[in-house]
Amino acid sequence: MKSISSIALNTFRESIREKLMVIALFFGALLFASSYILSPLAVGARAKIVLDVGLAAVSLLGILTTIMIGSTLLHKEVDRRAIYMVLTRPVSRLEYLIGKFWGILLAVAGVVAVMTAVMVLMLMLGKVALRPVVFMALYLTLLEIAVVCSIVVFFSTFTTPVLTSFFSVCLVVAGSLSGDLKVFAEKFGGAVTRRIVDALYYMLPNLKVFNLRHEAVHDLPYRAGDLWLVTLYAAVYCGVVIYIAHLIFKRRDFA
Amino acid sequence: MTVLRVEKVKKSFRGEMSLAKREVLHGVSLHLSSGEIMGFLGPNGAGKTTTIKIMLGLTRPDSGEVRILERPAGDRSAMARVGYLPENPYFYPHLSLDEFLGFCGQMSGMGREGMQRRISEVIELVGLIQHRGQRIKGFSKGMLQRAGLAQAILHKPDLLILDEPFSGLDPLGRVMVRDLLLEMKRRGTTIFFSSHILPDMETLCDRTCIIREGVIVRHLGLDELIRLGEGKIEVTARGCGDDAVEAVREYIESRSDTGDETFLVVKKQEFLRTVMQVLYNHGSEILRVVTKHPTLEEVFLSEISGRRKNKGAGGSKRESAVSRKGVRAR
Repeated sequence: MKSISSIALNTFRESIREKLMVIALFFGALLFASSYILSPLAVGARAKIVLDVGLAAVSLLGILTTIMIGSTLLHKEVDRRAIYMVLTRPVSRLEYLIGKFWGILLAVAGVVAVMTAVMVLMLMLGKVALRPVVFMALYLTLLEIAVVCSIVVFFSTFTTPVLTSFFSVCLVVAGSLSGDLKVFAEKFGGAVTRRIVDALYYMLPNLKVFNLRHEAVHDLPYRAGDLWLVTLYAAVYCGVVIYIAHLIFKRRDFA
Repeated sequence: MTVLRVEKVKKSFRGEMSLAKREVLHGVSLHLSSGEIMGFLGPNGAGKTTTIKIMLGLTRPDSGEVRILERPAGDRSAMARVGYLPENPYFYPHLSLDEFLGFCGQMSGMGREGMQRRISEVIELVGLIQHRGQRIKGFSKGMLQRAGLAQAILHKPDLLILDEPFSGLDPLGRVMVRDLLLEMKRRGTTIFFSSHILPDMETLCDRTCIIREGVIVRHLGLDELIRLGEGKIEVTARGCGDDAVEAVREYIESRSDTGDETFLVVKKQEFLRTVMQVLYNHGSEILRVVTKHPTLEEVFLSEISGRRKNKGAGGSKRESAVSRKGVRAR
């Protein structure tokens, strides 16, 4: 446990010193600003637009930052042999991966926190009441980022940063559409197609469950009890993906 | 107690452009007892770093067995008692030396209380006290090597494995490392290190192991190194003309001159009296008579040149290496 937290803290330190973090925050600010520019177009819906664009920006930039940082960090450590310093100590490869996962997640959570603070400030300046569902949506966005983070760590254990980014983006897109794909297959596909889509549906991350933006923007009811289920889903998914990553990583030779 | 045991380890790698595997270690075996210092010697590409990585569990062997401190390679409890310095070390550049050593200490399971004191101690030992707060990013190669040594000895390991510890160090740095290793040996640490700097290796090691093309071609103890030259005596004389040398030609193995001094290596102990008598009769002044034994460098070079001759004789690399292994490895 101590080694996991040390690796996570070190990864966090390394990540927040990446220029990418500043770029992410800059684009975040730009997106928030754009919501102000767009808001006069929808009379009386300024708060909704700020909230909608704000939540989408947090999710999008959170995921992109995770992919960009996560895909290079592990590869860099292996390439420059800094990993030898860790793996030649009483630290298992699973602990190393878990530490990396938490470190990246912590760093991206920092970006999310800054962007959330800006968004909340803008909403407060616009005298918009902050409802609990907004914070639930932000919490689910963090869980979504955690799932993406585990996927990035998984790919980075055996492939290059470019391919890790590519595969991760593909999985994020597929994961956002997996529900629609299942419905489509059930309506129009044959038995074989349905089975294949079913298998894919359970293998791919169902990222739709983390999207509460619609409810947050339009103040629709959401059962707080569902948060536990989604949290459990994210925890199990991350755990399984990191464990599979470990099975690959423990066979890896550092030649 | 055997601290490190490598038994018949074989390892092959796939080439970047081909699927065929190329064997780089052909059954490497070596043993290291508690409190010993062993030098691991070999030309570039001989398999030194690969052997070390297998010892540490960074690479898995195709066959054979490695046991460190009576545990399998990479075992958690064994690794807590091992210190390692990689070749050309790279550390986290965003950390200061203090932070980096703190991170290493935590990884090694050190308690918070004693750790800060120990960090200060090792930073002073490696001569980086003025740079402890500086980011590693700004370190020179020599400073990185010192930092690497500091992290390797931080947790007071029982076994120290060092890959080229003298690389990138200035003469002062080399002396510092040499003294540090001798001090660690005095405290009972077992040390295994690879190096190209043969005089340092000769000063430090109880035993040396020479590897060539993935085969251990020679194990050499310090006493054995001295015994290798037994019977050979070097006479240093001044004012020794060609006629004098010619008169003792049949008794000497070689002659070399530096300034007005002539060095003659006598073939056998029993020829010494005759050689001295003849030189004296020719008006030469005898300055020194010393027993000569080959340096590690000479042994190493003779092993390497022996290999080249074998290659020149037309034998394939692999066949030649294996045949030498059969003859010389023990």
